[in-house]
Amino acid sequence: MDSDRLNSLIARTEKPTRFMGGELNMRMKPDAEFKFALCFPDTYEIGMSHLGSRIIYNVLNNREDTFCERAYAPWVDMEALLRENSEKLFSLETKRPLDEFDIIGFSLLYEMCYTNILTMLELSGIPFLSKDRGEDAPLIVAGGPCVCNSEPIADIMDVLFFGDGEELNNDFMDVYASCRHRGLNKHDMLVELSKIEGIYIPSFYEPTYGNDSFASLRKLEPAAPDRIKRRIVHDLDLAEFTGDLVVPYMSIVHDRIALELFRGCTRGCRFCQAGFIYRPVRERRMKTLLDFADKQIKCTGYDEISLFSLSSGDYSEIHEMVPTILDRYKDDRVSVSLPSLRIDSFIKDDLKKIQSVRKTGLTLAPEAGTQRLRDVINKGVNEDDLLRAVGDAFRSGWHGVKLYFMIGLPTETDEDILGIAELARKVSREFYSMPKEMRGKGLRCTVSASTFVPKSFTPFQWEPQISTDEVLRRQALLRSALKGIRGVEFNCHFSETSRLEACFARGDRRLVSVLIGAYKRGARFDSWDEQFKKEAWDEAFMENGLSCEQYANRTIGIDEPLAWQHMDSLISMEYLKREYERSKQGIVTRDCRSGCNGCFGEHCKEYCNMHSSGSEETE
Amino acid sequence: MRMIASFYKHDEVRFVSHLDMQRLFQRAFRRANLPLEYSKGFNPHPLLSFATALSVGYTSDGEYFDVQLSEDMMPDEFASRVNDVLPKGIRIVDAVDAGDFKTSLTPLMRSAAYEVEMNFNRGISLDELNSILATLMSGEINVMKRTKGGIKPVDIRPMLIGIENCGVDGSKAHMLVHGKLTAEGGLPLELLLGTICERLGVTADYRVNRKNIEMDWTVIG
Repeated sequence: MDSDRLNSLIARTEKPTRFMGGELNMRMKPDAEFKFALCFPDTYEIGMSHLGSRIIYNVLNNREDTFCERAYAPWVDMEALLRENSEKLFSLETKRPLDEFDIIGFSLLYEMCYTNILTMLELSGIPFLSKDRGEDAPLIVAGGPCVCNSEPIADIMDVLFFGDGEELNNDFMDVYASCRHRGLNKHDMLVELSKIEGIYIPSFYEPTYGNDSFASLRKLEPAAPDRIKRRIVHDLDLAEFTGDLVVPYMSIVHDRIALELFRGCTRGCRFCQAGFIYRPVRERRMKTLLDFADKQIKCTGYDEISLFSLSSGDYSEIHEMVPTILDRYKDDRVSVSLPSLRIDSFIKDDLKKIQSVRKTGLTLAPEAGTQRLRDVINKGVNEDDLLRAVGDAFRSGWHGVKLYFMIGLPTETDEDILGIAELARKVSREFYSMPKEMRGKGLRCTVSASTFVPKSFTPFQWEPQISTDEVLRRQALLRSALKGIRGVEFNCHFSETSRLEACFARGDRRLVSVLIGAYKRGARFDSWDEQFKKEAWDEAFMENGLSCEQYANRTIGIDEPLAWQHMDSLISMEYLKREYERSKQGIVTRDCRSGCNGCFGEHCKEYCNMHSSGSEETE
Repeated sequence: MRMIASFYKHDEVRFVSHLDMQRLFQRAFRRANLPLEYSKGFNPHPLLSFATALSVGYTSDGEYFDVQLSEDMMPDEFASRVNDVLPKGIRIVDAVDAGDFKTSLTPLMRSAAYEVEMNFNRGISLDELNSILATLMSGEINVMKRTKGGIKPVDIRPMLIGIENCGVDGSKAHMLVHGKLTAEGGLPLELLLGTICERLGVTADYRVNRKNIEMDWTVIG
């Protein structure tokens, strides 16, 4: 687009820096053979905070033959401007319209971003459904955790990437390049691509339905695999990372250097999809991480490093890592943040050290209000752990703490809800019972309660979400129970979007028409409460003879076919069933660092070398 | 030591807001590995302050900031080290050692000159524009201004020093606007341009470049 014209549009938006590009360390490779648009279907400030996209940006741009540019979902102001002026959505690097790219790749982090995919395609003049796109259209691909069950968007995507992206993107580009050089048509190219481990070509499979639910998936292309195996990077020390980080002008959600300590989690919380689909745990060596830190501090000027993972306190070198980093950059006032800390990690000394540079917030996630329910979900922490952790934090000078809980977990009763308030009361008491000179001024304890969403590849994948009315009732119950507790405030998530999330998380291909229907009625940025348009979705479900409840609020029979069963997450179905059974009995399963629980089963056990000696007993 | 520097802000960087500019320079200083002096307190930050803010969307040929360094440094070295790591579109033009001068730069400001290019929705003549500007200069210019007490009519004529170098080419016009700019406030240029459009009966896109800020350096000597 003409740059003056474009700038006059950008100037009229609420946050022009979302669209201007030109940031420090942005890549420019005008001579590369293939143009890849890496798209994040949410705003710039969210997309730029996603570590995975930043890794892929580096991986692709490190290839001589590929220039990877970025594009984000235009906020509603820019969408309106583009439409009024009949302009196409453009990339940040060269301001090239997306339809001029060879490949458009979406990062799918959460289901509630799906309508934004449609915005981005429509504003680029690209048909939504793969079957309606010709040979000349860009190849539409996607990766990220939503690929676990990507059936609701399967008819949109030409290619889906299942698992870790570092090697997979390179393998994909190698085959793509060779197919292009050989002049293959799209179908033949897709056949070639389907041979790569971790690549899923949805158009090669066709679902059938019976009794109003998914029945089976029929393979149409003989060369395609029966099941798509999740791809993993075995050695993260050898894997590419973010390279020179692009430094945004605007303040983004995670505006700091993120060092990924390890991938995967050994804890096995039964509600947590990430805890299963990133297994096995693979750590980076401290030396690798310190090298990244050095390079990134030099090339960005950031003054904060986040030690990032699913449970950072579990990193085997954490007690050495934190003081080493703080010491190394003491003169540069670099602070360290530890997101995702578990209550039971022994972090007291680390907390003290972190606080010496800058006081950051402390967030703890007990998830449930009673020990019974925490055992059901295999959270494996107890009240003493929590009170000890907040006590340590208060004594170290913290006076703000966030407590995360979920409402609607399987087997939850009102007693569990009231238990949340009881726990908050004890935290408040812990604070105010301390002598004034030992603690901060006033407690700020935020209790957040999100709504449980059953996700594929977890032991709770068969469980229903509780109804909207019931969510509202339990929220109200909790709100009134929390009333009057000193220093405690409550916030909870809007339940309509959680229900929709539950629907799409376990959805099938029939939902694509609902998605398009809702989009056409104006649904955008559905995870942003103020943008959420309930009527658009209600009408779209109705029009297609489907309901949100039939997906979100249904108990799936343990032997029923699952819409995502052709995806092989490496975790065995038997293991998930066993965990489901144990949850009902309130039996806790040990952290797999202390012994193998056999989650990969026979067919993939070589993928995990955590216990290479190989004890296979299950307690 | 305290370093005073002037810099330009061109091209697309004009969309970077004032708050983001602070962060941009702080990060650049860190990349340049400068010996920075930090504030005390919970969130230590480099002691950097700008003479004034620039509206989002405006370019500028000369903005000012000052920064505290913990070690002495030659101004030229300061400028070249920072320039090596600044993003495209921003450059330090000049740097000086503030010496014993301790006060903020803001009270030194007197006025500013703005190069304005306007793009109207119809063609106009130079006479038409000149006569509107002559009327503006000769009386009050009452505009509705957002103040602490709500939106109120304000006469901005006392803030306007003069408009010169007018030129018209079809539906385009350019001019150089001089306005007061002091610690107490400055000419609200957007409102002035809005009034011009209103009196011409047109709508316009405009681009503004702050050509310079007049500073009273005599206090430093």
